[in-house]
Amino acid sequence: MSRPPILTPRKTVGHRTPRIDALERVTGKATYTGDMHLPGMLYARVLRSPHAHANIKQIDTSKALALPGVKLILTHENCQIVWGAGSVAGGRHYVDEVKKNTRQRRYAFNNPVRFYGEPVAAVAAINRHVAEEALRLIVVDYETLPFVLDQEEALRPDAVKIWPDGNISLSVKNEPEPEYYKRGNLEEGFRTSDFVFEDRYTTTYVHNAQMEPRVCVANWEGDKLTLYTPTQGTSNCRHDMARDLGIPDEKVRVICKYMGGGFGNKNQNQDVDLITALLAKQTGAPVKLELTRKEDFIGVHGRWPTTQYYKVGVNRDGELRALQLRGYSGMGPYRKNSGAIGGVELYQCANVESTVYPVYTNRAVSGNYRAPEFPQGFFGIESMMDDVAYKVKMDPVDFVLKNMTRKLNDDTPYSNYTLEECIRRGAEAFEWKKRWHPPAADSGPIKRGVGMSFMALRSPLGQSSAVIRLDSNGRYTVFVGVTDIGAGAKTTMSMIAAEALDTPMSNIDLVWGDTDRCPYSVGESGSRTTDMTGNAVIEVARDLKAQIAAKGLPKGSDALIASASPNPVFDGKVRKAFGAHFVEVEVDTEFGRVRVLKYLAVHDSGMIINPLTAESQIKGAAIQGIGMALHEDLLYDRRTGQPLTAGYYGTRIMTHLDAPEIEVMFLESDDGYGPFGAKCIGEAGIVHAVAVVGNGIFNAIGHRMKDLPITRDKILGVLA
Amino acid sequence: MSKPSKRKREISRRKFLEGTGAVLAVASAAPKLKFPAAEADTADAGGLQPGVPTTNIRVVVNGSEHRIEVEDRWSLAELLRDHLQLTGTKIGCDRGECGACTVLLDGKPVYSCSNLAVWADGRTVQTVEGLAHGDQLDPLQQAFIEYDGPQCGFCTSGQLMSAKGLLARNPHPTAQEVRAGMTGNICRCSNYNHYVEAVVAASSGKHAATSTRGAARRSVQPVAAVSGGKKRRDATVSAGSAGGAR
Repeated sequence: MSRPPILTPRKTVGHRTPRIDALERVTGKATYTGDMHLPGMLYARVLRSPHAHANIKQIDTSKALALPGVKLILTHENCQIVWGAGSVAGGRHYVDEVKKNTRQRRYAFNNPVRFYGEPVAAVAAINRHVAEEALRLIVVDYETLPFVLDQEEALRPDAVKIWPDGNISLSVKNEPEPEYYKRGNLEEGFRTSDFVFEDRYTTTYVHNAQMEPRVCVANWEGDKLTLYTPTQGTSNCRHDMARDLGIPDEKVRVICKYMGGGFGNKNQNQDVDLITALLAKQTGAPVKLELTRKEDFIGVHGRWPTTQYYKVGVNRDGELRALQLRGYSGMGPYRKNSGAIGGVELYQCANVESTVYPVYTNRAVSGNYRAPEFPQGFFGIESMMDDVAYKVKMDPVDFVLKNMTRKLNDDTPYSNYTLEECIRRGAEAFEWKKRWHPPAADSGPIKRGVGMSFMALRSPLGQSSAVIRLDSNGRYTVFVGVTDIGAGAKTTMSMIAAEALDTPMSNIDLVWGDTDRCPYSVGESGSRTTDMTGNAVIEVARDLKAQIAAKGLPKGSDALIASASPNPVFDGKVRKAFGAHFVEVEVDTEFGRVRVLKYLAVHDSGMIINPLTAESQIKGAAIQGIGMALHEDLLYDRRTGQPLTAGYYGTRIMTHLDAPEIEVMFLESDDGYGPFGAKCIGEAGIVHAVAVVGNGIFNAIGHRMKDLPITRDKILGVLA
Repeated sequence: MSKPSKRKREISRRKFLEGTGAVLAVASAAPKLKFPAAEADTADAGGLQPGVPTTNIRVVVNGSEHRIEVEDRWSLAELLRDHLQLTGTKIGCDRGECGACTVLLDGKPVYSCSNLAVWADGRTVQTVEGLAHGDQLDPLQQAFIEYDGPQCGFCTSGQLMSAKGLLARNPHPTAQEVRAGMTGNICRCSNYNHYVEAVVAASSGKHAATSTRGAARRSVQPVAAVSGGKKRRDATVSAGSAGGAR
């Protein structure tokens, strides 16, 4: 049920508030997992496949085991444990039912190995140098197999079968079928269109590249595992670990005090966690496993590469009549996530069909990276539509205003709708009418152009929990299972608690990041924490205030304790956050260089809890999107199947000098569902940031760039 | 006594650096701070591994002198983090790409992952732990808090030390000079705008709380009514930091 909107100023919420842990972060006192040291701790390293696809005929670990200081080596021969979250039927969330159904299972160590970088063995030794030396002494006899790197090539009849079932990933029903959506009558739509346009867009594998590489410390005390690991969701990680190990949830404790980013790379439990726990169990000592930067790039996951074919029917006046997408997503050899391609839902259109095939390849595994299916899909469809607008001789902003979504799938109403407001106010602030010109209008070698893109992104509600204890000294201890990936969840929760309890933030103590101390939280993924855990904090505060009213304030050693696990349900509506981005770029047509001159990001993410950190989120997301548009790619050697650009330098991750100034404008509204009116933010800034850059480049040079990343050689290629 | 070992074992991923380090090691008669030498078969990160070449060094870290016997293969980052318990310095890539491990070596920013510990012999090192004077934060630290520089915070120590080194050689940089000076420090949260603003503010003695810009950063004004719900309601617009020096 929604409540009436509240837009009046508040005491805490809505004010620019430095992070509650900022002091720890700027003084080096924040302890990340890699900073942990336990007495007697062993160090672990992983040996990884140097082949894209190979049978392991034999592994000889005798020399490595003979090295002084080596304690244990695990391989597929002595360790056959399934890593459930590593391959999930249909790319669905890893629940018991799915685990049971999944036929294409992923073990901690697999034979055959199906991508360059797949774990082959893990060593625990007295220090990291001995562990690294031991890796060099393991002798593996591989029988190399043919491999395939491209998602379309993988579906050719002569392509090597990565799994016996073929290269289309199996659904939850274990059928090789695509993700399919349809409404209206496509043939009728195309037949009645004045024009029909077709095109192909491709996007590449982009790695999350969070600053903290994957690391884990595992320690068993009796039959209880304590896992120190940077995870975006302590509760989910614990549950996944317990399932993999076949022990009850309460026998696993997951602790994450600070973590150095993840952007979806640290959802669930990772094989790193599982391998570390197994090494610790069998050696009887605490174990720390650290991934190198290269291992993190190729051994965890990144955004799935896609090939997108669009067919669009449109009338002379710019009205969309029919929209078809046939897409292929490269999942690597394991289905870690859905492989969907978002974007079709952005448009109002009577006749729509979308068919997306999740395809196995012998590349690094694909998975969640900040708004998993959207930046690549929005790039494809918003480039396509920008092109359609050009071809029917319309201003792209007018075309969007005519054809953008008003209800989800033209059917379900939004809880409130501010998309038009975002676009109109953004265009006004950006002076779109003044800046926009016909493509390639500049005569000089350096050409300027402008572009726009827009978005609607799910902002769901759902179950999360919170506990508050009020002591007689007047301090409120708020227990929430958040970990704070960098989005500021700890600060946000403290602000919401202070506002809801009508007390200064200085009276709030937050307990977070420990499954033995905190209740369930949804985890920092899917831009859900503020909404879901925030609502739980408000509800528990309400309960506590009722207790105070009934019993009075606690005295002496008494305390008042309240807990809440709200699970709000919707009354036939869908919640979305809305936004529009505007960019001005210049393209040096002699060198192919693109520079972003002006960037405006307009967002309705509901009421903004903390404008300071919310701006950081949008700015950072937009810059990541620009990097995806212009720079980033994990290139592979097609002859050997080896990745060539695993790392910051090779992938050309955005630097200080690359990053433009991002202007952020929040349009605030309250749909009556979110905590103090908040909606999602974390992913909202990246979803349409890639498309806007492509559209700006088109306006500058008059050539549509259809393949990411839009590098200099590609620009010079189309201009040649 | 320094004892650059004559025995060369096929032992380290840093074989090249190790060799160079042994050449560079200078004799030091200083009494050494002795770590407990670990048995070959027991785990202890603080210990020296028997049979591995070591060197005695003298290094001043954050104002404190340390006389230490270090394994020649240890990087400076490893020495700081694992053996001096200064874990504020982070390792993001361990190969000179990201800058998370930046410290000041004799006042100049260096990647501590790409320097051997033995190279610090006779030199001074400043890490993030040495920035504040007691409870008094460095102006850079204060500005990083006020401008929300750190998101995940993993690159922050490196950004701070890089900025500290920059301000030492250019006390009043422009925004573009800050970008150029700190471009070796990657922030994947990509909070570059805020880091640059913070460094400029710190260098000019302006803090967000007192600067005119800080006050102007949040402008809230009513805008046209927004659809949705039963009754029309007002929305507000909050403008983020606009433009800024490019």
